[in-house]
Order: sequence, then structure tokens, then C-alpha cells
Amino acid sequence: MDEEIAKPTFKKILVIDDNPTDRYIAKRMAEKYHFAEEIILQESALEALNYIKSLETTPELLPQFIFLDINMPGMNGYEFLEEYAKLSETIRTNCIILMITTSIHPDDFKRAENNPSVFRFLNKPLDREKFRIIEDEFLSKK
Amino acid sequence: MKQEIDALEQSMHIKDFLLVIKKKSDHLTNYFLISFFVIGLLLSFFYDTWQIGIGVGGLLLIAYYSTKIALPESNLYQYVLSVVLGIFMAQFIYQMHGMFEMHFMAFIASAILITYQNWKLQIPLMLVVGIHHGLFGYFQYLGFDKIYFSQLDYMSLQSFIIHMILAGAIFSICGLWAYQFKKYSEAHMQLIFNKREIENQELKTANYELDRFVYSTSHDLRAPLNSMLGLIEIAKEDTTEELMLEYFRMLKGSAKKLDGFICDILDYSRNSRMEVNNELIDFKTLLEGVTENLKFIGDNNRVVEFKIDLSAETPFYSDKNRLITILSNLISNAIRYQNSQIPNPFVSIKIETSKMETNIVIEDNGIGIDKESQSRIFDMFYRVSHESVGSGLGLYIVKEAVNKLNGDMKVESEIGAGTTFLIKIPNQQTKS
Repeated sequence: MDEEIAKPTFKKILVIDDNPTDRYIAKRMAEKYHFAEEIILQESALEALNYIKSLETTPELLPQFIFLDINMPGMNGYEFLEEYAKLSETIRTNCIILMITTSIHPDDFKRAENNPSVFRFLNKPLDREKFRIIEDEFLSKK
Repeated sequence: MKQEIDALEQSMHIKDFLLVIKKKSDHLTNYFLISFFVIGLLLSFFYDTWQIGIGVGGLLLIAYYSTKIALPESNLYQYVLSVVLGIFMAQFIYQMHGMFEMHFMAFIASAILITYQNWKLQIPLMLVVGIHHGLFGYFQYLGFDKIYFSQLDYMSLQSFIIHMILAGAIFSICGLWAYQFKKYSEAHMQLIFNKREIENQELKTANYELDRFVYSTSHDLRAPLNSMLGLIEIAKEDTTEELMLEYFRMLKGSAKKLDGFICDILDYSRNSRMEVNNELIDFKTLLEGVTENLKFIGDNNRVVEFKIDLSAETPFYSDKNRLITILSNLISNAIRYQNSQIPNPFVSIKIETSKMETNIVIEDNGIGIDKESQSRIFDMFYRVSHESVGSGLGLYIVKEAVNKLNGDMKVESEIGAGTTFLIKIPNQQTKS
């Protein structure tokens, strides 16, 4: 059932989700489908911001994709986006943000897609199909 | 903007209110006018004043009713009424050859006009009385014959002036009453309106809070379910054991069922309280979205064929979200309850739009619904058998949505042959 050992598509991704199970699932999925070499997990938006800021001087170490959960205690997904918009140009051009959630509320969908920092909106759980979609859209945008 | 809308609603309330007053007053006026005409006839007996009684009386009625019929929207007829009543007074005074008591007619007229709650109506009456008294009194005392204004041989100027002042007082008081009545009514209405505003606001707040509660709760319920589904997916990929895969398959089924139920409740809650929002509907895109989402539901993993037939004479306006709900639920039912015994399951979706309405026919060759159940399938939580896979809310939600759009729904079905749902939704284009 394992995929053939293939070259990972991307170097590094960052998953921001307060739920430990969901973080685990995201990591296993990304590993399984060889989506990325390195998978960084952050359990709070605030810590994630600090992590990103710390890599400002070394942009080659920034994650290519950021999987951002919407509903988190403390700072939620939208609040993270507000702070993210204030970060430097370097950071913002290097990282691509995908908002993920279990929500089926059309307002969340609209709000995410209308935010300029967000590349795409995805429903949890992540699976093979979704990774493929991300890859395809990323490559076609290049 | 909200204030403008409120002011508009309020002014419509006042308009409605004034209309009611107008109708009631007009009704009373009819009785009064007929009575005065009849009195005129009766008075004719005394001094044989038939020509005046019928002629003047008749002309007055014609004047009033013709103004009313010619300009029903305007208030002019009320001012004409005021003049008419004044002239009736003059007519009666003449008919009784100056009997003083007939002057009371002016005061009766003044009082009658209060019912219209418009002080300005007193003015024409005042003018008629003033001019009549002035003219006729003058001519009679000049010596002209047959004026019949007064039975007194002589009326001093002083007497005349006091008479006019007192008459003026009566007109003023009646005018004041009319004005006060109107102000009181308006204040009363404002009070009622304000109360309604507050109640509306409270209802809106309560609704909003309930919405947020339902949304939060359902999200908190779905998140762990979702995690479970994710873990099941991972676990499935990590084993090749048939037994384990079977367990995971069943776990997944249960979790999905629960998720579906929560989504149905969310759907129902949103549907029942959201306002109807009309927009232009593109059925082709709508259906594409719906069928795309539904392609892979159903346990057998057989792909159901969609036969789509759309035709539209004119653009169709209605509530998009509710239409999506109706179509999703009916099509997903058709897929879920397919007949596994036959080789080619299909769902036929026919949508025909005309100027007045849209007709939607969703037909399948599935397992069908027995006659006894057909009337009950729209009940909340009703499921035909224990094998039914849904929550029992789907058709209830569809029925609510159809009702919200002022539409109509019928079901025709035969066990083993298939089911057809026929829905009629009015086209809101004529109203937008």
C-alpha cells in the first residue's frame, strides 16, 4: 500500500493546528505521499509566527507551504493572517498559505478565499487527492 | 440606510391608518348626506319649497359624489363636503323661512367634520356660513323680498357680530378637536411602532445568537469526527489485513453517518431561519456543483447516471441556497436508494423554467416508496425502514425549503419501480 519511494515534492512545510490528532494526521499524510522532506508542526498561531520571523534572515529555510487551521484558541487563523500580512516581503513571497478547516459554512469559505494572503481553502482531512490538487495548482501558477 | 427604511415603513403605517379613518368617515358621511337630503324633502312640506328641497339638495349630493368618484385618491371631496354641509344649512334656513333653529345645522356640520381628523376642513364651512350670513342678511335688511334669511325684522350689527364670534368659536373648537385627535392617533401609532421595533430587534439578536450557537456546537462536534476519519484513512493505508480493513470500513461508515446527521441539523437550522434572498439562477452551474459533490456517495460505489434536461424561456430568480439544498437532498436520496438488482441506475433531472415558475422533476429507477409511507416521508426524522441510511431530516428540510419559496411538491412512486419528485417554484422575477 505504500507509495514507491519517490522524491518529495517540496522541501519544507509548516502545519499550524491546535489539535494534536490533526497535527499527527497531517504529518503522516504528508510523509505517506512524499509531499515534503521536512514537516514542521506548531500548536499555536503565536508560536508559528515567532518561528517564521526567526527564519527571516535565512529565507531558504522558510517553509514553502503553511497549512493553517482556522479554529484555534488564543490566536485563530484569521488573526494569524492579520499578523502575517505585517511580515516582510521576503517571508510573504516565500510562503504559500492554505487554510484548512472542518467548517462547511459558506462564510468561512468566502472569507478565506477573499484574503489576499491565502492561496486556497481546503476541508480537513487532508488526503492524497488534496495534496495532488495543491501540487497541480502550484505548478500551474508558476 | 436603515433609518430610511424604518421611516418608510412608518410612513406606510400612517398611510394605512389614515386610510382606515377615511373609510370609516366616508361611511358615516354617506348616512348623514342621505339624511340631510331626506330632511330637505320633509321640510319642503312646510312652505312648499319642493324645487329648492330637491334641486339644491340633489345638486349638493351630485357635487359631493362626483368629486369623490372623479378624484378618489385626493382629499378634495372632503373640502367639497364641508361646503356642501354649509349649503345644506343655507337650504334649510331658506326652506323654513328663516327659522333661527336651522342655524344649528352649521354646528352639526362642524361636529361631523371632526371625524376626518383634519382641522382644515372647518375652513370652507366657515367661509360658506360667513358669506351666506353676510350676503343674505344684508340683502334681506336692504328690503329684498323672498330672501327668507331671518324671521326677525331687524338684527343689530352687534347681534350679528356676537353671532359670528360664537359660530367662530364652535368651528375653532371642532377644528382643535380634529387636530388633537390626529396628534393623539399618531402618537399612539408611534408608540406601537417603537414597541414593534424593539421586539424585532430582540428577535434578530436571539436569532443571531442561536445561529452562532448551532454553528459552534456543530463545529465542535464535527472536528473530532473529522480527526477520526483522518486517522482511519491513515490506518487503512498501513495494513493489508482483510479483517482490519473490514473494521476500518465499518468505522468509517459510522463516522460518516454521524457527520451527515450533524450536517443535516446544521442545514435545517440555517434553512428555517435564513431570510429568502432572490438572485438570478443558473441551473447548469448549480447542478454541476451539486452532482460533483454527490458523485461518490452510496456504499455500492456504482456510478449513477445523471440524465439532465434543462430548458428556460426566461431568466429565473429565486433563493440559490435553498435550491441547492432541495436539489442536493433529492438527488442524493435517488443515488442512495438505487435498486441494486438492476444494471443501470439513473437519476433524471428535468428543469423547465417559464415566466411564472420553474418545474423540477427528479426521477429515479430506485427501490421506490410504498403507498403508506408516501405521505409520511416528509415528517421530521421519519425513515421508511431500519435499512434507511439517512437521518430522516432530508425530505423534511426539502419540504421546508420549498414552502419558504412558496412552492409546491408532489411525490409519485411505486415499490421496485422508482420514484419521481415534482416540484414547482414560483419565479421571483416578477416581484424583484
